Amino acid sequence: MTPRIIAANLIVRLKSLYREKAALFFTFAFPVILVLVFGTIFTKPEHLNFDLPVQDNSHSAASAQLLAGFTTDQSFKITPIPNEADPTQYAQAHKLNLVLVIPGDFEPRLQKRQRDASVSVRLTYIYDPSSTAVATKIQLLNLLVAAANQKVTGTPAFVTLVPASILPAKYRFIEFFVPGIIAMAIMTSSLSNTLNMNAELRQKGILRKLATTPITRADWLLSSILYQLILSVLSTVAILIISYVVFDVRLHLGVWLPLIIVVEVIAFVGIGMLLTPFAKEAESASAVANAFLFPMMFLSGTFFPVEMMPAFLQGFARLLPLYYVNEALRAAMIFADHAATRRCLGVTAGFAAVVFVAGTLRTRWDESGGA
Amino acid sequence: MPNPELAIEVDQLCKRYGSLQAVDKVSFTVAQGEVFAFLGPNGAGKTTTVEIIETIRKPTSGNVRVLGMDVATRKSEVVRRIGVLPQGFNSFDRITVRESLRYFARVFGAAVDIEALMDLTHLRDQADARFKTLSGGLKQRLGIAAALINDPEVVFLDEPTTGLDPHSRREVWEVLKGLKSRGKTVFLTTHYMEEAELLADTVAIISQGRIIAIETPARLTEQHADTMRLTLPAIDAAAFGLIQQMGYGVTRTGDAGMCVPVKNADDVRAILAAIQTAGIALGDLDVRKPNLEEVFLKLTGEALEHDSNGRGGGL
Repeated sequence: MTPRIIAANLIVRLKSLYREKAALFFTFAFPVILVLVFGTIFTKPEHLNFDLPVQDNSHSAASAQLLAGFTTDQSFKITPIPNEADPTQYAQAHKLNLVLVIPGDFEPRLQKRQRDASVSVRLTYIYDPSSTAVATKIQLLNLLVAAANQKVTGTPAFVTLVPASILPAKYRFIEFFVPGIIAMAIMTSSLSNTLNMNAELRQKGILRKLATTPITRADWLLSSILYQLILSVLSTVAILIISYVVFDVRLHLGVWLPLIIVVEVIAFVGIGMLLTPFAKEAESASAVANAFLFPMMFLSGTFFPVEMMPAFLQGFARLLPLYYVNEALRAAMIFADHAATRRCLGVTAGFAAVVFVAGTLRTRWDESGGA
Repeated sequence: MPNPELAIEVDQLCKRYGSLQAVDKVSFTVAQGEVFAFLGPNGAGKTTTVEIIETIRKPTSGNVRVLGMDVATRKSEVVRRIGVLPQGFNSFDRITVRESLRYFARVFGAAVDIEALMDLTHLRDQADARFKTLSGGLKQRLGIAAALINDPEVVFLDEPTTGLDPHSRREVWEVLKGLKSRGKTVFLTTHYMEEAELLADTVAIISQGRIIAIETPARLTEQHADTMRLTLPAIDAAAFGLIQQMGYGVTRTGDAGMCVPVKNADDVRAILAAIQTAGIALGDLDVRKPNLEEVFLKLTGEALEHDSNGRGGGL
């Protein structure tokens, strides 16, 4: 291992990256764009106003009072639909996933109820079962109807629920998402850059030239790791700044974060070295990389919690190194749970050590220069 | 025992790929300061042999010593004292000529005057051009400059002019002549006879993994192509019988031409005198001395530039 040689490799790689704007863009802008897009889509559900189109055939003080109850706490935003319209056709024509119909005899029946407890009234809701958002809206509607019923009976509720979050402070989707994107960005760039670089250098015969210089396998591997470490730190900083500035995401940035980054880089550069023999040409390198990256990305809890998946997939996720990186980052950055961080980082570090050693052994300078 | 006069010693070298015997019991030596040309058609085992000597590949059996050091056991010492231009040299696309040379200088820890090296290889004007933008000839010259970065005692050049146009080829040759005059040992792999004839002190011809001849270019032609060829492209048919009577194996070529293989210049003089005495009009004539190309064709029975497009070699 020679620091002079590692420095020479780093200079050449950083210059090459800086001079290829497309690579520079994908390294830094891509994760940032992901944060911006997903953050915008998912961050502000508390301000999201559910639309509730209502055909009020009663037009009475009683129906107005009921609907007023539906809009408290900004739960629903009531939009009236014309009384002469057929609600089903109207919903289809206007692409509405839920329409509530209040019958004309709503007020008289309510008045009858004051005297006779057996009187009830039916409100129809017309819904589109193919809509993914409709279930949540129907649940909310049921809750609001239950509240309205209770109000009519005039007795206070016996069982009430008090929420207590397992997470300190408020926990939004974006806080869950940002560590996942950091882990994904580091994995993607470490693995594909290593694979592409090796495949390209071999295809062009540069490795054959390097094989006749004093560069050793350890020099080569360490150069790759340091280069990826520089890129990873830069892209992590970019992601954190953007998520703080745009979404006010505040995460714990202790000693764990740099440690996890180092271990993740070693793990995925090592995998890149191991996969190199399968990418004979630069063209096949990205195919090999993607075959590995995509399942990891979707099954390791980058975009959604692993707990949302069927049990057998959850078991599979626990075999993937990225799962432990995600868990470690979330434990450290969101929950400040040192024990969990240490446990997940330990698993990742063990994995990194194995692929690092195997990657070093697989790197072949001689014999047609396959690295 | 290592001989201090010898830059390269190859002894009973074999390399096998599966069922293919790429290099078969090859032995030769290269003296210090010698320019040694390794000739052979594509796929003959040239590059495999040279890459074993350069420490890139491992032999199946046999011994190779460079500057007295075994390449198998002392790789890290060997690479510091040799310079290599691999076949189809490439550098990093987006790195300039000067930066590439600085990179290799750092890798070798060599305190080298990069500007002087660029002068030697006629690269000064392209110092700040990125590798991707260089022409084939310039790329090869950068490769040669990179091979000289550690002031090596032995320089290996694997097909330095393959794929270059005649002008670029001549430019590379000028650089190689400069190396020779500076006393470097040069191991040149080529399939261009002209290149070997122009530059080499010694020529080794390899075919199907075996060395079939090893000599100076002059003695190779002397020994293996002992015939000159007298061609008379337009001459009276009467000359045919006359030459035949003199005991030469004459053959007809074209409409009115004849071709006579002869041993030496005296034979040519005798034939011409006989024609003149017989009063036959001589017309045009051509006497061709044998060259390496013919020697090679005779020895290998293979066309030299056959498959010169593909890199069928590699073996």
